[in-house]
Amino acid sequence: MSAVSVSGVSKVFNQGRTDEVTALSDVDLTVADGEFVSLIGPSGCGKSTLLRLVADLIPPTAGTVAVAGQPAAVARRKQEYGIAFQQAGLFEWRTVVRNVELPLELRGISRDDRRKRAMEMLELVGLTDFTGHYPAQLSGGMQQRVAIARALAVSPPLLLMDEPFGALDEMTRERLQGELLAICAKTNTSTVFVTHSISEAVFLSDRVVVMSPRPGRITAALDIDLPARDDAVRQSAAYFDAITSVRKALRG
Amino acid sequence: MSVFVRRVLPPILVGIVSLLGWELAVRLGRIAPYILPAPSAIWHELVVQRANVWEAALASGMNALIGLIAGSVLGVLAAMAASRVRVLSEVSVPFAAVLNALPIIALAPILNNMFDSTSSVPRRIVTAIIVFFPVFLNTLRGLREVNPVHRELMDSYAAGSWTFARKVRLPGALPFVFTGLRQASSLAVIAAVVAEYFGGLQDGLGSRITSAAAFTAYPRAWAFVVGACLLGLVFYLTTLIVERLAMPWNTRLLT
Repeated sequence: MSAVSVSGVSKVFNQGRTDEVTALSDVDLTVADGEFVSLIGPSGCGKSTLLRLVADLIPPTAGTVAVAGQPAAVARRKQEYGIAFQQAGLFEWRTVVRNVELPLELRGISRDDRRKRAMEMLELVGLTDFTGHYPAQLSGGMQQRVAIARALAVSPPLLLMDEPFGALDEMTRERLQGELLAICAKTNTSTVFVTHSISEAVFLSDRVVVMSPRPGRITAALDIDLPARDDAVRQSAAYFDAITSVRKALRG
Repeated sequence: MSVFVRRVLPPILVGIVSLLGWELAVRLGRIAPYILPAPSAIWHELVVQRANVWEAALASGMNALIGLIAGSVLGVLAAMAASRVRVLSEVSVPFAAVLNALPIIALAPILNNMFDSTSSVPRRIVTAIIVFFPVFLNTLRGLREVNPVHRELMDSYAAGSWTFARKVRLPGALPFVFTGLRQASSLAVIAAVVAEYFGGLQDGLGSRITSAAAFTAYPRAWAFVVGACLLGLVFYLTTLIVERLAMPWNTRLLT
């Protein structure tokens, strides 16, 4: 059973009106268990739309979306996935630890259990010293780590990320990429990761899915085979070759 | 120390200098006391009348407080109700804005006639009505403005509308509620004092100001005006403190 299975999906916004937009046209995508898949493409290619379809935040116009073998709507209600966006989207009136606890709270998990779980997650992202802080007291990178801890809190089999490192500086971004890979490996989480950075997609992914706009569709899927996923690999020939092939695919 | 020198000292200095300038202008310029009494004369009256000022301030303050609480509670509840129905909130905003622009204080004499001449109720009603609008308008704006990321996150958690209101909408609207309350706290004192100008029970600052002025006791009238200023200040600062306590995450308050 695959983590995500999208088949024949189209998405039309404002259907039947003069401002009708075809965001996605006949998209098929399968993400295997434990696989890390990046969606890359220029703005307007529908990569974020595709992610929201998988998350069941918007319904498809045609086709079916399945998450862990069940319809996306069912998977959402069972909290089968964790999600993080470009903006951390922390609740500014909740402390860091209570932000991470929120999805657990909504699942009806007891106070002690969710505090314990949230602390584990914050340890994973290296923020144990900031559990009592409010989001406004943290840097952008730290806020994004809280958002990732929150997405992981329910131990979801699937992680959906929409340019989570897009607003961060290069140094922080590379460090968080390493941390994310370590966490995914440790928890055996499948991931769909939207990005517009070629190097980020190549470093993180088992497979890079290239999309193109008007209408949004998948134009290529490239398997990335790197010897390792550490800072040294960022200097390797295999890494640069992969970047070149993704760039070529993007240019069509 | 440097914070004190840079941020507290300048306003205090400006205050002292303007008081001195005022005193000198009145004495040297021989300004008649019915135009403007000297601050020293006002201070003298304030000391002499302190018990009366205190009692009148308590009476007006009580009216302002009851009106403020009643108007705010109604404003928040009405905003919550209006935010639930899209049409209602769209219709009510321009409607409330128009009503808010009316001189509601002008209702005071009409309300006075509806109740006993010894009743404080008409003043409290006028205050409550005046307080209602800024609280209602600001709260409604806060309830309608939800961070789209918060919305998507709560959708991804499959949160129902009641959970969403309780965990996101209401706490997210708090800063807006307090923007309304800050305006309302000053308005409440103004309304409670000015409503007394239109007759009724003679126990508050407003009625003391009018009667002192009628007896040409101008420094005394000004002493009660100072009392009204202090009352307004107390209301405003109390609101700021409550805001600080209610929103510990907002670190930029009171600075």
